[in-house]
Amino acid sequence: MSKFLKAGATIARPWRNVSTSHWLLAAVLLAFFGVLLIWPILQIVATGFRRPGGRLTLAYVELIFKDPELVRGMLNAAGVAISVTLLTLLISLPLAILSVRYEFPGRRLLSGFLLVPLILPPFVGAIGLRLVLGRFGPLTQLVGGGPLGIDWIGKFRFGGMVVVEALHLYPILLLNLQASLANIDPALEQAAANLGASRETIFRRVTLPLIRPGLFAGSTLVLIWSFTELGTPLIFNFYTITPVQVFRQILEVSSNPLPYALVVVVLLASSLLYLAGKVALGRGFDAATTKASVGATITRLHGIKAMAAFLLFFTIVLLAIVPHVSVVVTSFAKTGSWYQSLLPRGLALGHYRQVLGDELAFPSVMRSIQYASLATAVAVAVGLGAAILIVRSNIPGRGLFDALSMLPLAVPGLVLSFGYLAISIGLKASLGKRMPRILDVQEWPVLVLVLAYAARRLPYVVRSAVAGLQQTPRDLELAAANLGASRFTVLRRITVPLIVGSLIAGGLLAFSFAMLEVSDSLILAQRSDYYPITRAILDLSQRLGDGTYIASALGVWAMILLTLTLLSANTLLGRKMGSMFRV
Amino acid sequence: MQRYVYILLFALVLFAPLLARMAIVSPQAREATTANAARLVVITPNNQDIRREFAIGFDRWHVAHYGQSVVLDYRTPGGTSDIERQLKSTYDAYRDAAGTLPPEIPVEIDVVWGGGDYSFNQVLKPAGILQTAPISPNLLAAAFPEPKLAGVRLYDATSGPDGKPTPLWLGVCLSSFGIMYNPDVFERLGLPAPQVWGDLTNERLDGFISLADPGHSGSAAVTYMMVLQRAMADAEAEFFLRHPDLRNAPAAQRAKDPAYAQAIGNGWKHGMGQLLLIAGNARYFTDSSEVVPTDVARGDAAAGMAIDFYARVTEQVVGSRRAQFVLPVGATAITPDPVAVLLGVRGERLRLAGHFIEFLLSPEGQRLWILKVGVPGGPVDRSLWRMPIRRGVYADRTGWEPTTDPFEVAHGFNERGEWMVGFGDTRMIWGCAWIDSGDALSAAYSAVLSVSDDTRRREMINGLMDLPITWDEVKHIGVERARQPRERMDEWDAELRIQFARRFRDHYRAVKCLAENR
Repeated sequence: MSKFLKAGATIARPWRNVSTSHWLLAAVLLAFFGVLLIWPILQIVATGFRRPGGRLTLAYVELIFKDPELVRGMLNAAGVAISVTLLTLLISLPLAILSVRYEFPGRRLLSGFLLVPLILPPFVGAIGLRLVLGRFGPLTQLVGGGPLGIDWIGKFRFGGMVVVEALHLYPILLLNLQASLANIDPALEQAAANLGASRETIFRRVTLPLIRPGLFAGSTLVLIWSFTELGTPLIFNFYTITPVQVFRQILEVSSNPLPYALVVVVLLASSLLYLAGKVALGRGFDAATTKASVGATITRLHGIKAMAAFLLFFTIVLLAIVPHVSVVVTSFAKTGSWYQSLLPRGLALGHYRQVLGDELAFPSVMRSIQYASLATAVAVAVGLGAAILIVRSNIPGRGLFDALSMLPLAVPGLVLSFGYLAISIGLKASLGKRMPRILDVQEWPVLVLVLAYAARRLPYVVRSAVAGLQQTPRDLELAAANLGASRFTVLRRITVPLIVGSLIAGGLLAFSFAMLEVSDSLILAQRSDYYPITRAILDLSQRLGDGTYIASALGVWAMILLTLTLLSANTLLGRKMGSMFRV
Repeated sequence: MQRYVYILLFALVLFAPLLARMAIVSPQAREATTANAARLVVITPNNQDIRREFAIGFDRWHVAHYGQSVVLDYRTPGGTSDIERQLKSTYDAYRDAAGTLPPEIPVEIDVVWGGGDYSFNQVLKPAGILQTAPISPNLLAAAFPEPKLAGVRLYDATSGPDGKPTPLWLGVCLSSFGIMYNPDVFERLGLPAPQVWGDLTNERLDGFISLADPGHSGSAAVTYMMVLQRAMADAEAEFFLRHPDLRNAPAAQRAKDPAYAQAIGNGWKHGMGQLLLIAGNARYFTDSSEVVPTDVARGDAAAGMAIDFYARVTEQVVGSRRAQFVLPVGATAITPDPVAVLLGVRGERLRLAGHFIEFLLSPEGQRLWILKVGVPGGPVDRSLWRMPIRRGVYADRTGWEPTTDPFEVAHGFNERGEWMVGFGDTRMIWGCAWIDSGDALSAAYSAVLSVSDDTRRREMINGLMDLPITWDEVKHIGVERARQPRERMDEWDAELRIQFARRFRDHYRAVKCLAENR
């Protein structure tokens, strides 16, 4: 390994020798981040530092630390984030190892099902969970709750939140770990084994260090996501937690700069968490880890071992699909018939008919597919560019690009969306009739929606691409360059093909989360003729009396479509879901 | 092969519903809107049912009266506060350094519709972004024979130099908040059906009450205010029994009487205590008002404070075994839900906006709120179950869904203007007492409820209700705030909130220690 490090060091050039193409790339990326992240954030966050009249102040930030409730909210958020990340790791690591290294009956099918949490539309997921965890809901019926039922949501708030979030977020870590594991050259582990190392030593001393890029990529995403998660605490009525405090204060009737100052503190805290993760897991990455030079060996499990592996997969899948199952059952339940019973007392297809007849529902799905596809294309292009700068260039301050690309995770979606809206309105006020229609969110939100989705979902692509590049030896690219290939040819023929698995992993995450994006969709898509699916689901779910059922019907359809989108994209590339990450 | 199967399935799932849709939706319904239809842009928090029915109704009415089809182009950025924020930022972009708006503002949105009178009175009107509604004085007089319903204004009080009304907003229907409850769960709890707000303070309802957040919902806040005002009115009635001489004295003179002020202050405090117990029983304070009826109907909550039409539609869908609605007689606020034209709307768009308001106040527009589905002039898909604001239309209720007459239910009791002083600050206090220090409240309430001796528990509950705050203090907040320099105002407010929350937390902790005999 040290030999590689030395080779890397001698290849490194002084920063003034940074190539023109890297400078150009940096300029394009800075423009992207500047317009789509910094500008809207500044637009909103400045409120937290400005007194009425315009003078700058730190008074509001100070106030946050004076308020014991806000401080406790921050500690709770950190507590939840750390617990969720640890639990996610506990779930994902064995699953990743089993799915990449071993073969047992049902592995392929269950591996596909493990990604199910990725296809759960928001609201619908909340509807499903509220139903299952209801006082007289199916869980209560299952355990026999007595005449007054069991208040699951009220009784198990912290633990409930951690479990629900971990079961929602583990695929992010799982995908990254699978990609990292698949990238390890088995020769390294075989060499260790030949030298007499035990399995445990090999895992601790060889495997674990080698999968650090994936571990870092995945756990950072989970950590920051759960730190800023809003939906789950709201389901559990947990108010003393920062994201909920920001949300509630921002939406309060009186205008108040405090929540905006709180957003700044969240940003700083997220950056600290990110840096802490980087120090703990992310130091010393280099192209030292090689791509597999020999095929990975897959061990076939038999007997009790196979059964145990199957049971582990099955249990996680079972827990993960509870909200989905409940949504499916709800969509077929007769209105009001799922009350104090394990299953609905009557079935009906009427809700699907309602959805079909709805003016908003179907066009919204088609639009969402278009928006999300475009956004994914933008995110993959920008993400790849950012990853190349971060890993392969000597450009000064390249850590900045790393931090910038993670920024969307730390900013509440609501803040970013209002930022876009405020910019568009401000531009219109100053440009008047000369304002191009494509920039006018209230008239034609498509461009801003697509770019907003791309910016919000960029972290997945950047993390995956960076992990992919870090695990791909630079020697191959240098060899191609030595043979006279241009930078673009190297990118097209060597780099991208080598990390395509990571790019697909990031792209798929970006696509499915863009399909299910909430804040941008609610704030930016105000005209019903531009509604994406999340907005349509929200509208339907708010229908009094039977909204839950109708929204579930649309949710089921969206889940099937999203599953098939992922499977189709996957098969189009000629790889199966399970082996996709073994590049 | 597998790849083609998935792609085929994908296409099938994508397109099958579109084909099915063509089969089940009638061609008339799919008929495109008339090409030469006029367009009116309306920003609204109203739900899809209301939006759809009024789009159809207005178009029909406009064709019949003005010979032209109109498309209502709705903008729905979310709830009332989202709309307020968007409108404020839209207009703020045009203000000069002094905050003045130019005479010409190229706004896209013509009309703002729905969200409660509080939003129109306290946010949109003071922001200076509404213009006088373009309707004839005759229509105003016909629609509103009385400008108030038991003390609450039904349209904006602005008037011109000649004293004639030039309202910036007009109520188009009425909302009331009441108790929605699940009879089945009440039976399981062994409790009689609730009739008055006080019934929600029962300790056996701990964890069974569903409430809306007073900081987010203006109409919920008005309802909580009615609990206070009911307690104040009761205290006043009791005071008059002891001092009959003051009953007919002018309000100004009464207010100066220290004994009277003391009695009203005690009533306020008792009301705050009642609200605290209801908050103690609450499962949560929701931002989304649809959650309350849904949770009650599902049995997750036994009762909640809900807006009338949410409760009635839910009752209709799930049946009266699981959802019923009660308006506490003489203790509910009945408030208008307004419409207004935005500043900067001119010419043809202004004329259309005027037509829209004319339709909303017309007998046809008014009946659309409450007629049954299928009745001529009624809704196409679902009844809206809202109360018309024109008193006259209540005379003939043929084809109506069952409803109460709000003009009778009010029983002369509605918001009392003089007791609304400090309303904004009272909302802040509720936020501090119920939400900011919510964990401490829950802990104290649980500790109190686990005291087994009935007399001691009652004492503890009374102790908990005795919040360390007085009405005088709340009224004084406004005076103090006015003394602050403008640029320190937000900071001062935030500090005040922290102080109050701390004060309430200390109170809850003290009660908890007492209850636990520590």
